[in-house]
Amino acid sequence: MPERYPGYDVLAKRDGLSWNEPTRSAIAARLAIADEPRFFDIEAWQTLKAVCDRMVPQPAGRAQVPIAAMVDRKLADDARDGFRPASLPPQREAWRRGLAALDATARAQHEARFHTLAAADQDRLLKAMQQGKLDGPDWNDLPAATFFGARLASDILSAYYSHPLAWSEMGFGGPASPRGYVRMGANRRDPWEAAEAKPGSEAEARRENDRVR
Amino acid sequence: MFDEALRKPRGKGGRAPDPMRVGGWVPMREYPGDEEVDFAIVGTGAGGGTLACKLAEAGFSVVAFDAGAWWRPLEEFASDETHQGKLYWTDERLCDGANPLKLGANNSGRAIGGSTVHFAMVSLRMRPERLNSRSKLGYGADWPLDWREMWNYYTEVERALAIAGPVNYPWGPPRPRYPYRAHEINAAGLVLARSCEAMGIDWSETPLATVSAPRGRSHPCVYRGFCVTGCSTNAKQSVLITWIPRAVKAGAEIRDLAMVGRIETNAGRATGVHYYREGQWRFQRARNVVVAGYAIETPRLLLNSANAQFPDGLANRSGLVGKYLMAQTNQAAWGVMEDEIRWYKGPPSLAITEHWNYTDTGKDFFGGYAYMSQGPLPQAWASTLSGNRGLWGEALMREMEKYNHQAGLKIVGEVLPQEANRVTLADEKDQYGLPIARVTYSLCDNDQALVKHALDFMSKSLDAIGATDIWTEDDDTCHLAGTARMGDDPTTSVVNADCRSWDIPNLWICDGSVFPTVGAVNPSLTIQAIACRTGDRIKELASQGTL
Amino acid sequence: MATDREILNGALGALAIGAAGALLCGRTKPTRRKRQPPPRSAMERARREAERPPQAPTVKAARRLNRAAGLIALSTLLDSAVEHYRGSFHNKAMYTPLVVSALTLYVSYHGTGDRRPAVHRFRDFTYLVSAATGFVGTAFHIFNIRKRPGGFSWQNLFYGSPLGAPASIALAGLLGFYSERLRDNELKRSPKVFGLRAGRALAALAGIGMVATSAEAALLHFRGAYHDPFMYAPVVVPPIAAALLGDTALSHPRPPRRLTRWWLRLTALVGFAGAGFHIFGVSRNMGGWRNWRQNVLNGPPIPAPPSFTGLALAGLAALGLLDDHPDS
Ligand SMILES: Cc1cc2nc3c(=O)[nH]c(=O)nc-3n(C[C@H](O)[C@H](O)[C@H](O)COP(=O)(O)OP(=O)(O)OC[C@H]3O[C@@H](n4cnc5c(N)ncnc54)[C@H](O)[C@@H]3O)c2cc1C
Ligand code: SF4
Repeated sequence: MPERYPGYDVLAKRDGLSWNEPTRSAIAARLAIADEPRFFDIEAWQTLKAVCDRMVPQPAGRAQVPIAAMVDRKLADDARDGFRPASLPPQREAWRRGLAALDATARAQHEARFHTLAAADQDRLLKAMQQGKLDGPDWNDLPAATFFGARLASDILSAYYSHPLAWSEMGFGGPASPRGYVRMGANRRDPWEAAEAKPGSEAEARRENDRVR
Repeated sequence: MFDEALRKPRGKGGRAPDPMRVGGWVPMREYPGDEEVDFAIVGTGAGGGTLACKLAEAGFSVVAFDAGAWWRPLEEFASDETHQGKLYWTDERLCDGANPLKLGANNSGRAIGGSTVHFAMVSLRMRPERLNSRSKLGYGADWPLDWREMWNYYTEVERALAIAGPVNYPWGPPRPRYPYRAHEINAAGLVLARSCEAMGIDWSETPLATVSAPRGRSHPCVYRGFCVTGCSTNAKQSVLITWIPRAVKAGAEIRDLAMVGRIETNAGRATGVHYYREGQWRFQRARNVVVAGYAIETPRLLLNSANAQFPDGLANRSGLVGKYLMAQTNQAAWGVMEDEIRWYKGPPSLAITEHWNYTDTGKDFFGGYAYMSQGPLPQAWASTLSGNRGLWGEALMREMEKYNHQAGLKIVGEVLPQEANRVTLADEKDQYGLPIARVTYSLCDNDQALVKHALDFMSKSLDAIGATDIWTEDDDTCHLAGTARMGDDPTTSVVNADCRSWDIPNLWICDGSVFPTVGAVNPSLTIQAIACRTGDRIKELASQGTL
Repeated sequence: MATDREILNGALGALAIGAAGALLCGRTKPTRRKRQPPPRSAMERARREAERPPQAPTVKAARRLNRAAGLIALSTLLDSAVEHYRGSFHNKAMYTPLVVSALTLYVSYHGTGDRRPAVHRFRDFTYLVSAATGFVGTAFHIFNIRKRPGGFSWQNLFYGSPLGAPASIALAGLLGFYSERLRDNELKRSPKVFGLRAGRALAALAGIGMVATSAEAALLHFRGAYHDPFMYAPVVVPPIAAALLGDTALSHPRPPRRLTRWWLRLTALVGFAGAGFHIFGVSRNMGGWRNWRQNVLNGPPIPAPPSFTGLALAGLAALGLLDDHPDS
C-alpha cells in the first residue's frame, strides 16, 4: 500500500509551537519505553508479543512500536480505566489469565505455544476468542469474548494509537498546544498538518510534509 | 511528570492555585475541622462547584471537598489522550446488566471542577415540555420545577460561562442572546449542516462553553480539538475556571485530594463528613452537608454512610437511592467523505440539530434526541471501530487510514427512567477501603426504538450528501443522571425541588443525580441551573429561618 | 499562553502605534505648508516661487486623495495578503486583490508627488481597474457565502468570505478615480466632477465609505462580542464623522464646520489606534506573538483599521477643497 502521507512525521513538530512542555515530557517517556517486560513473566510476554503482532501488523521497514511493552507498563503501573465489566477480574489478573488461557488453547489445539504458530493459526485463535468460541476449562470462567473486547483489544489498540508513529501513519495532526489550527474548512490544511498524497501529487505532498514543523 | 497536583494537595495553608496563571496562587480562607461550617459540600463539579460559589457569595461559610486534583491547565495539560487520564475517575467500578456502561474517561471526572474539566462543552437548555414529560408527553416523570423559572437560571449560567452560541437558536421558546458569538464551524460540522439541509430539517451552531473571543485571562479557543482530554488554553469555561475562582474569592474553602468516605449523622441530622486527605481520615463539622459526587458516587456515598439509625443508607426511606440511573444513548452514524474533513480540528461538536427533540410526530417511541457532529481523537476512534465492528489487524489499520476523511453524527438520546437500572455496593473495596459501586444498566425497548429511529435518519442524511462506507455504531452511552431523583412526594423521590433530602433536613443533594428524567440534551447546563436555583432557595429559606 | 510580559509588550506596541498615528494626523493639517527651511534671501524666495508649479486647489485635493487611496490600498493589500494566505490561495483569482492593491498603492504614491493638473492615463486606468476588481470581488464573496450551508447567516457573514474587504479595494479605486477627475478641472472655475460640486460630492463619497467600513467593523466586533469597550470606537466615531460629512455635503453654501474637521482627525486616529489594539489583541491569543503563524490569522486583523484613516484623509481633502473653493 503506498503511503498516504509520505514523509509526514508528527515528531518534526516536537520542538515547535504545537507541543507544550507537559506533552513533550509525556511523549518522551512513552518513546523511552524499552521493549522488555516488567510486569509479565517471560511466557506471558512471548504470547503477548505475538498477539500484538497480529492485532496490529505494523508495516515493515520502519521502527516498530513496542506495543507489548506499552501494555505491560500500563499493568506494571496498574493504571486503570475506572470501570470493568463485572464478569472480568481486575485488569492485571484478567491479562495474566487471558494470556495463559490463550496459550493453553494453542497447545491443546496445535500442540505448540501460541507465539510459535503460523500467523493464520494465530488469527484463527484470536477470532475464535473474539467470538466467544474458546470458553472452556482452559478459560476457567473468564469470558473469552468479553476479555477480548474490553481488555485485550482495548489495551493493545490504545497503546498503539498513543504512539507518534501511528499518528504519522494516519495523518493525524498530533499534539496541538499552544498552537491549534486555523483552517477549518474541508480540504484545507495548515502548513503544520499532514499533506495527503493524491494520485500524481506524491512528490508535492512529500515536499509539504518535509516542511511541517 | 506534570502530575504533582495528584500527589500533594494545593488548596491549603491559606492559599489556592490560580488556574489562570502559570505558577499562580490566590489567597483562600480556611476553616478548622472543629468549626461548624454552614455547608460542607462533597464534589466540586457542575453541581457542587456552582453551589459552593452561590452559597459563598450569599455569605455562608463553605468548605467543598473533592477527591481529585486542583490543576493549572496552562502548564499541566498535555495534548495527549493517555496522559490526561489524570482527569478521570479511575478507581474501579463494576458494570453489568444487558448494556453495561463504559465509565471512566467517557463520563466521570475527578478533579476540582469535576467532569466539566474534560467535558465537551455542549451547553443546552432542556426542552420545557421534557420537565413535564409525564403530564405533557405521557412518559417518565414530572420534575417539580417550573420551566420558566429554569429558563431564567439557564440565562444566569450562560452568562457566568460566557456561552458562545448562535445569534438565533432555531428551537424552543425565545432565549436571550448568548454572551459570545458562535465559533466557526469546522468541516465536520458542515457535514452535519449539509446533511440536515438535504433532509429538510433545521440545524444550528452548537452553544458551547468555550470562548470565541478573549474573556478576562481566558484565551479564545485555538481549535486544538483536545477538549475531552482537558483544555490547555483555558478557553473552555469549565467549573474549574469559572465558579471555583469566584467561590474562593467569596470566602469558600476548597479542599482538593480530599475523598469523603462517610457522612456522619446524629439524631436524624447530618453533623459533618469524614474525609481522607494527606494520609489520614479527618472530620469536618458542618451545619449542612451537600452531596454532589455525580450519579454514581453520590448514591455510593449515601449507601456507604449507612448507620444504625439509617441502616439502608442516608436519605433512603423511599428505597430509591441508587435507582433510576439514566445514561444517555450516544449512538452514531459514520461515513467517509471524498473531502478531507480532519475532524480533529476544533471542538468536537460545533454543529447540532435538535429537530428530533422538538418534533413529536413521526416517532414510534417516547422521548427525543439531539445529534451533533463529531471529532474523536485516534485512540477513541480506534476503540470505536474495534468495539463496534470488531475490527483488528490489517482491517482495522486500513480503516484508520481513512481518519482524515471520516465524518459522523452522534446522538444524545433520552432514555426512560427504569428502577432496575441502579447503583449498588459491591464487595470489592477501593484504595480507601470503601466498597465500590456496581452499576447495572439495560436499555429498554423504547430506548432501542429511539436509537433505531436515530440511526436510520442519520444514515439517510449522510447518504444524502454522498458519504460512503456508512455504518452505525449501536452501542455507546454517555452522560449519567438519576439515582437520587427529585420530586413532590417523599415516597417516590429522594429530594424535593430545592434538592433537600426528605429524610434528613440538613442533607442536600445537588448534582446530576437529582434528574427525574434525563432529557434529550447534554445535562451540565441544567445541573448548573439547578445549583443556582438551590443556592437562591437556601438563601431564601435561611432568611425565613427555615433552613 | 500570553504571559504578563507579552501583554505588556502588546500594550506598549499599541501605544506606540497610536502615537505614530497621532503624529501623522497632525501632519495632515490643511493649513500647514510643506516643511522647508525658511528662505534665506529674497532671491531664493523668488527662485522657489518660480520653480513651484502653480498648484490649483483641485490638485492639492487630488493629491490628498491619492494619499487617502494609497492608505486604503495599503490596508487592503496587507489584509487580503493575510486573509488569502489563510485561504491557502486555493483559487488563483485570490492573487488578484494583491496585485491590484499593490498597483493602486504605487500609483497613489506617484500621485501624491504629482503636481500637474492633468489626468495621468496609467494612474487613471489603475484606479478604474481597482474599483472594478473591488466590485467583482464583492460579487465573488457574495457568491461564496450563498454557496455555504445556511446562506446569508451570521455564521457565514462572520467566517465566510468577508464582504468588506473587496469593497475597500473598490473604495480605494473610486477615491483615486475621483482624484483624477478633480485634476481635470480648469483653474479658477468652481470644480465639478460628473457635474456635481466636487468638494461636496467628495465629502459624500468619503462619508458613504465610512459608513460601509464601520458596518464591517460592527459586524466583526459583534463577532468578538465587544469583549473590550474600546471595540465600540470604530462603530461610534466613524458614523458620526460620516454624518458630519453628510451635513457638509448637503449644506451648500455654508462652509464646513470646525467640528467636522476635528472629528475627522479623531477618526483618523481611531484607524491607527485600531491597528495598535489589534496588535495587542494578537498577543492575547494562546501563545501570543510567539505563535504568530496562528494568531495573526485567527486574531484581530492588524491591517484593517487604517482604512478609517484613509477615509478620514479623504474627508479632510474634501474640506480642504471647500476651504479653497467654498462653492465646490
Ligand atoms: C468526556 C465528557 C464529555 C462531556 N460532554 C458534555 C457536554 O458536552 N455537555 C454537557 O452538558 N455535559 C457533558 N458532559 C457531562 C457533564 O460533564 C456532567 O454531566 C457534569 O459535569 C456532572 O456534574 P456533577 O456535578 O453531577 O458531577 P461532576 O462534574 O462529575 O463532579 C463530581 C465531582 O465530585 C467528586 N467526588 C465524587 N465523589 C466524591 C467523594 N466521595 N469525595 C470527594 N469528592 C467526590 C469527583 O471527584 C468529581 O470531581 C461530559 C462528560 C464527559 C466526561
Ligand atoms: S478546541 Fe478550544 S476548547 Fe477545545 S481544547 Fe482547544 S482551545 Fe480548548
